[in-house]
Amino acid sequence: MIQLYRKYKFIRYLLLLLFTYFFWLMLRITLQYIPFNTMASFLQIKQTEVQELPYYLPVFYTHVYSSMFCLLAGFTQFSNTLRQQSVVLHRTVGFVYLVAVLAFSAPSGFIMALHANGGIFAVVFFVVLSLLWWWFTFRAIVEIRRKNIARHEAFIIRSFALALSAITLRLWKVVLVYLFEPAPMDVYVLVAALGWIPNLLIAEYIIKRK
Amino acid sequence: MKKGIVALALFCLFACNEQQQPAENREADTEMKKEDSSFLQFTSYYGSWVGDFVAKEYTEDNGDGSYSNKINLVVKRIEADSVFGQTIVAGNKREFKGIIRKKDSVYSFLVQEPGDEKYDGVFEFSILADTLKGSWTAFRKDLPIVKRSFALVKAAFVYNPSLSLPDDMEYVDYVTGKTTEVVEENEEGAKDTFMVDVFRAASKKIFALNASVQELKEDDLKNLKKIDLEIIRNTIYARHGYTFKKRTYRQFFDYVDWYIPVSTDVTAELTELEKRNIALLNRFEKYAEDHYDSFGR
Repeated sequence: MIQLYRKYKFIRYLLLLLFTYFFWLMLRITLQYIPFNTMASFLQIKQTEVQELPYYLPVFYTHVYSSMFCLLAGFTQFSNTLRQQSVVLHRTVGFVYLVAVLAFSAPSGFIMALHANGGIFAVVFFVVLSLLWWWFTFRAIVEIRRKNIARHEAFIIRSFALALSAITLRLWKVVLVYLFEPAPMDVYVLVAALGWIPNLLIAEYIIKRK
Repeated sequence: MKKGIVALALFCLFACNEQQQPAENREADTEMKKEDSSFLQFTSYYGSWVGDFVAKEYTEDNGDGSYSNKINLVVKRIEADSVFGQTIVAGNKREFKGIIRKKDSVYSFLVQEPGDEKYDGVFEFSILADTLKGSWTAFRKDLPIVKRSFALVKAAFVYNPSLSLPDDMEYVDYVTGKTTEVVEENEEGAKDTFMVDVFRAASKKIFALNASVQELKEDDLKNLKKIDLEIIRNTIYARHGYTFKKRTYRQFFDYVDWYIPVSTDVTAELTELEKRNIALLNRFEKYAEDHYDSFGR
């Protein structure tokens, strides 16, 4: 039993290490958008929206800058030891996550999703992603205010699984392009779904096991 | 009154003389041309001669040159036994001069480029019927290819924005392919490793989008791979007769009938529409290069 626990712990540390690596990659992607530039990176193929929709740029940059704060939660919130040692830390980082997701990242993600590349399917997948993300995060807060820790944990696991789509979406893209070299928007529609649906299924599995 | 008649008669005489004079000149002209009828033949040599510039002699260890490039050999003028002109091939535009000699009723040309650039050399050719045939020998002997031959026909360059790559062909980039390692298990269960060359193939979209006549939109380009974007953009340059330095692009355009290399810089010739489309295509090419296969955006 102890052995199993150790093995489990080892896997957790491995995952944390992996997460740190991808957090670093995401940070570098974010840095492409500093300083503010109307033509940076992704915006190079989004000039139609940039020019025609006055709200697109503010929304886009809100999403880019706020999203890093969401991922930050991955370092502290899922460690039992940390949570037990410092409730204050858990609450502070949790508050940052909640504000970042509910007020900034998910709403801006929703508006961007309406103008997503890749056509109607990509739009639907991204819209559903943003709505679910907001809803799960909101429910997690409601549950903890009701002091229902188990349900809070379940919803925050779902919420963070969707937050991780920022990473998994890009990973799927690399894998699909490496294997099949499809046209860019064909990849995009696929990762719009693959980026978060498997994540959510794994989250449900983890919740069920607990 | 008499005086008046005389004056009139004299005037008539003069007038008659004046009319005859040019007639005499014309006769003298044709006589001169009869003597040197080659002059007429030479002006018909003037202009662009276009065709394939095909490798004949390779050297070892000097890299690998392109087997064939489209060349445009321009005969500009012939004065006495001197010839002046230029060649446009593979991104180089070089002046040449040389001499004409008559050998067995055929005129043969021996011309050379200045010699201060890498690919300068000597051209020997003659014109028979409607074909300009000959060979080129490089000054430098350390080039991958030191001798080429050619058979060119007269062609006049005209900018036509509606031209496109022929759609009965596959466009595959055989120049900038990449080699990947493939491991497969054979029947005995051992692993076989072999190398496979992977080449980029263009999609059918390159025939549908003409960047010289239609305003391209972001949505037109989003689902295109870099190779498509490159071809659509460079077709604009090809229509203007740009001679491509990069072999990657020559491989697509050199075999197209309408393509004639005439210039190393066509920036001034581009229309406003073309300039806008080029800027957009460049942006998408950069995006495709930076982000298509990488983690991130």
